[in-house]
Amino acid sequence: MNIFQLVWVNSFRKKTRFSLTCISVMIAFFLFSILAGINHALTSNVSSNNQLRLLTSHKISLARSLPINYQQKIAVIAGVESVSYASWFGGFFKDETNQLAVLAVDHNSYFEMFDEYYISKLQLEQWKKTRTGLVVGQAIANKYDWKVGDRVPLNSSIWMNREGSFTWPFTVAAIYQSADGASGEKQIFFQHSYFDKARAYARNTVSWLTPKVTEQADVDEVSQRIDKLFVNSNGATRTTTEQVFIKERVQQFVDMAMVIKLVVIAVFFTLLLIVCNTMVQSNRERLNESAMMKALGFSSLFLIAQVYLESFFILALGALFGCMFALLCLVWLSQLFANFLPGIAIDNSHYLSVALLVLTAATLCSLLPALTLNRLTISKTLGAKA
Amino acid sequence: MQNNNQKKVAIELININKSYQKGSNKVVVHDNFNLSIAKGEFVALMGPSGLGKSTLLNLIGGLDLPTSGSVIIDNQRIDTLSEGKLSTWRAENIGFVFQSHHLLPVLTAQGNVELPLLLTALNSKQRKQHASLALRLVGMEERAKHLPKELSGGQEQRVAIARAIVSDPKIILCDEPTGNLDRKTADEILTLLTTLNKYFGKTIVMVTHDLRASEYASRVINLEKYIHDSKQNQLSAVEVNS
Ligand SMILES: Nc1ncnc2c1ncn2[C@@H]1O[C@H](COP(=O)(O)OP(=O)(O)O)[C@@H](O)[C@H]1O
Ligand SMILES: [Mg+2]
Repeated sequence: MNIFQLVWVNSFRKKTRFSLTCISVMIAFFLFSILAGINHALTSNVSSNNQLRLLTSHKISLARSLPINYQQKIAVIAGVESVSYASWFGGFFKDETNQLAVLAVDHNSYFEMFDEYYISKLQLEQWKKTRTGLVVGQAIANKYDWKVGDRVPLNSSIWMNREGSFTWPFTVAAIYQSADGASGEKQIFFQHSYFDKARAYARNTVSWLTPKVTEQADVDEVSQRIDKLFVNSNGATRTTTEQVFIKERVQQFVDMAMVIKLVVIAVFFTLLLIVCNTMVQSNRERLNESAMMKALGFSSLFLIAQVYLESFFILALGALFGCMFALLCLVWLSQLFANFLPGIAIDNSHYLSVALLVLTAATLCSLLPALTLNRLTISKTLGAKA
Repeated sequence: MQNNNQKKVAIELININKSYQKGSNKVVVHDNFNLSIAKGEFVALMGPSGLGKSTLLNLIGGLDLPTSGSVIIDNQRIDTLSEGKLSTWRAENIGFVFQSHHLLPVLTAQGNVELPLLLTALNSKQRKQHASLALRLVGMEERAKHLPKELSGGQEQRVAIARAIVSDPKIILCDEPTGNLDRKTADEILTLLTTLNKYFGKTIVMVTHDLRASEYASRVINLEKYIHDSKQNQLSAVEVNS
C-alpha cells in the first residue's frame, strides 16, 4: 500500500458522486477541445493545393456585385494566370427548406480552374453546349434522384427572370464527384451567360471573381495590385486567398476566439465549483479519519497531498476522456467540413493548456480542504466522539 | 510521584496547566497537575466526565500541548517539539486506541493495520509481514481481508489495537476502548490489553468508565480523588516550608 493506492480507494468511496463529477469534467473538456479544434481551422494558415486561387469581392460587402468586365481588367495584371467568376443564385428546390448552394459560373473557365470537381470530359462538353444545363454534385443528385437529362426547375430567393418568375427552368447536364466524398458534392453550377441574359436586373455583374496567380507570383503582391486597380471606382475590391475568404465568412457568424474564451472561462469556473464541492464534501466526511491519521503520525502535508492527488485524478480522468471524445468528434467534423472549413484539428499546444487547467484546478480545489486539514486539531476532532 | 524511584519512569507530567479559551471565558481543566507512570504499568484512569481524562491522554500522546508545564516521555520532553517532529515522534512511540476505532472504511483490516507503517522505512513486503503479525496477536488473522463494515464492533476494536501496536510503540494510550462494547467483548479486549502489557511489556494508560477495569489494570487512578489528594499534599508542603 502507498499514497497512490490510498488515493485510488478513497476516490471510489462514493462511486456515484465520483462518476457524476468526472462526467461534468469530461463534458467541460470535451466542449473546450471541440472549440479549440474549430478555432484551429479558423486561425491557422492551412496549406492546401489551392493557395494559388484568389477571391476578389466588393470591398464593402459580398452582397454587392462587381462589373463583369473586371475579368479582362484583372486578367492583364502581372502575376495573374487566368480569371474566372461566379454569382450567387440563392437557390432552393420547390420550397425554402430545400436550400441549395447554386452558383452561376463562367462555363469557359470555371472547371478548368476548380479541378477538384471531377466531371467526365463528355459531360463537361455536353454542359457547355446546354444553355440551361446544370452541373450537380453526386450527393445532391442522389438525394433528389436527378439524372442527366432531367428537367429541374430551381427557385431563387434573389433573382427574378425576364418572365417575371423566380422559378428558373434547368436541365441536368452533368454530375460531378469530389475526392472529399459526399461532403464535397453538395453544390450546383450553371452557365453565367444564361443567368446574365435571363435575369431581370443587374445584368453584366458578378458576385465575385476568382483570379488565379502564376506559380512564381507573390500572392500578397498580386492581391494588392488587383485592389489598387479599382480603388477609386464605385466597385472597389477586396482580394484575399480563397482560404482567408472562407474563414472570414465563418467568422462573420461567430467571433470564435471570443466564444472560446468565454466557454473556457465558464467551463473553468463550473469545473472549480463542481470539483471543489466534491472535494470539500468528501474531506468533511473524512475528518475523523484524517484526525486519526494525524494521530498516527501522518503530517498535514501528507493529507493535503492526498486531497490534491484525488482532485488531480478526477480532473485528469475527466479531461482525458473529454479530449478523447472531442478528438473522435473532430475527425468526423473535419471530414464533414473538409471543403467548407479545412484544418479542423487539435494541435499540441491545446494539450498543454488542458494540462495547465487540470493542474491549476486541482490546486484550487485542494485549497479549502488543505486549510481545514492544516487547522484540524486531533484532540478536538477525535474528542468529539471519544 | 515519589513512590516510583526504583522503577524506570515512562511518563512524567510536571506542573501541568491546561486551559481552553471558550469565547471570552477561560476554562481551566488542569491546574498544577503532576503524574508519573513507570515503565510496564497498566494504568486505568477513572472518574466522572469532563474532569480532563481525555485531555491528559492527549497531552501524554502529544496530540495536545499544555498551557504550561512539561510532558516528559522516556526522558524526552515532548511539549517543546515542533509539530512536524511531534508527528514523527508519535508515529514511533505511541499507539492510540479510541472509543471509536476510526478505521478507514475503504481499507481491509490488513490495509488499516499497515497504514502507520507507511511512515517507516519498511518495504512493502516487510509492512505486510508486520501487519500480519499484529493481526495474529489480536486474533484477527483470519479477517485480514475483511473491510471494517464486515466486522463486529469487538473485531473492529481488535483491528484498531493491531494498528496501535504494529509499529511496536512502547506506550499504548486507550480512550474508553470498551465504551461501545458489550460485557463479554469488553472483557476480551481488556484481556488482550493485559496480554500486551504483561507479555510484551507495553506501558498502557487507559481512560475508562468500566468498573471491572480494575481487575485488569495494575494501577487504578481515580482522578477526582487523585487531584484532591495532591492538592492536600501541596498545601501541607507549603505549610512545612513556611
Ligand atoms: N478542544 C477543547 N476546547 C475547549 N474545551 C475543551 C476542549 N477539549 C476539552 N475541553 C473541555 O475540557 C474539559 C475536560 O474534557 P475531557 O478531557 O474530554 O474530559 P473527560 O475525558 O474526562 O470527560 C471539559 O470541560 C471539556 O469541555
Ligand atoms: Mg473523554
